[in-house]
Amino acid sequence: MPKFKTIVKALVPLAVLGLAGFWVLTIPHPLTADQLPKHTADVTNGEKLFHASGCHSCHLPSKDSGLDEASVAGGAPLKTPIGTLYPPNLTPDPETGIGKWSDVDFVNAMQKGIGKDGEHLIPAFPYTSYAHMSTEDVLDIKAYLATLPAVKNAVPQHEVTALPLIRRGLGLWKYVGLKDAKFVNDPAQSASWNRGAYLVNGAGHCAECHTPRTFYMASDDAKFLGGGPHPDGQGKVPSLRDLVGRGKYKDAADLVSAFQDGEAMGYEHLSSGGMGAVQSNLSKLPVEDLNAIAEYLLSLK
Amino acid sequence: MKFGAMSLIAGTAMVLSAGFAMAGAADDAIKARQECMKSHGAMMKVAVPMMKGEAPFDAAALKATYDGEDKACADWAKWWGADTQKGETVETYAKPEIWTDAKGFEAAGGAWYEAAQKLRAATDEASFKAAFPAVGEGCKGCHEKFRRPKS
Repeated sequence: MPKFKTIVKALVPLAVLGLAGFWVLTIPHPLTADQLPKHTADVTNGEKLFHASGCHSCHLPSKDSGLDEASVAGGAPLKTPIGTLYPPNLTPDPETGIGKWSDVDFVNAMQKGIGKDGEHLIPAFPYTSYAHMSTEDVLDIKAYLATLPAVKNAVPQHEVTALPLIRRGLGLWKYVGLKDAKFVNDPAQSASWNRGAYLVNGAGHCAECHTPRTFYMASDDAKFLGGGPHPDGQGKVPSLRDLVGRGKYKDAADLVSAFQDGEAMGYEHLSSGGMGAVQSNLSKLPVEDLNAIAEYLLSLK
Repeated sequence: MKFGAMSLIAGTAMVLSAGFAMAGAADDAIKARQECMKSHGAMMKVAVPMMKGEAPFDAAALKATYDGEDKACADWAKWWGADTQKGETVETYAKPEIWTDAKGFEAAGGAWYEAAQKLRAATDEASFKAAFPAVGEGCKGCHEKFRRPKS
């Protein structure tokens, strides 16, 4: 058996090297405070983007908590293939919420997927889309959140097997899954189209569900907004391409009406698969933003 | 002994045929549910253009669609047995939450029903327009939680 021993001896340094490589490759790289732009926060804009980002849809309190369902106190269980997640409390409570978070903590979470303690965040939180937002808009959301009433609500730990290892491993996933690029206007298009593109690709994070994923669970850009399997595991998420050509909507006004009224005006397909909450959020946006989203979406053939 | 064996066979046969009968009944219940939903869709098709001002208000046309709903949905309460969670030959989009959260399901259906009764009582254009959105919200309240996306 000397051969076996030699092999083991040779493998040990390889394994150490491998682990060291994994460790180095998965080191989180957060921004530092001096990398943030100088910005005076605009709470009204923050409120708008809070709704566009759909924060409440996941960060609401659980039904049995007895807390105000309209708050973002967190804790409603989110069932995912890797386990049950408990989205955190976004209210300004210093102990159980984000009251002690600095601006750069918040930007790192929203755009780098890195938590306050430097850990990689699970991408059920769509930082992969929020990464495309302007840092100023992200700071405005934080300023808006700070105006909400603080709710004391300690959210349970995620029920995920080997969570620390998975978190660390997300450092590798980010090389393919997180395209860290700010949205850039297309000068060939109208201001409204660009606004729509910005909202759909950034805050709106439509692609998280409406674009299918590759084998590595990264967004499959070749099939952008082309629809795919529902993340819940049953049924499909529809394509958002060629909505008029496919007879889904008559025109932009029809689509805007769907955003504003949803099933109250008979747009029944906007109610299942989680889209009901999305539509409720969209209905809180100013009509010019909805027109912009419609103009952009209907341009996708 | 012989009697025992025979009763065993007979018993098995009865259980099996009951099983088959139930499977057929499940499909019937699912189809009936879907016909009821289609009658709501037919109502929406008539009412929404009136809401949007694309069609003139027509109380008689509305009444006809309400009657269609009442007829198609009359046996609603009989269609949600535990054996109807899955169809034999028909696909259902009913989520398991209908049975795991039966109270929530009943409340959501009740909210729709209440709004629908108010709509039926609204026979002039202004009260129709005021009563209608709550009906659609009632549809949403149930679909959001209890209907899975189509495959």
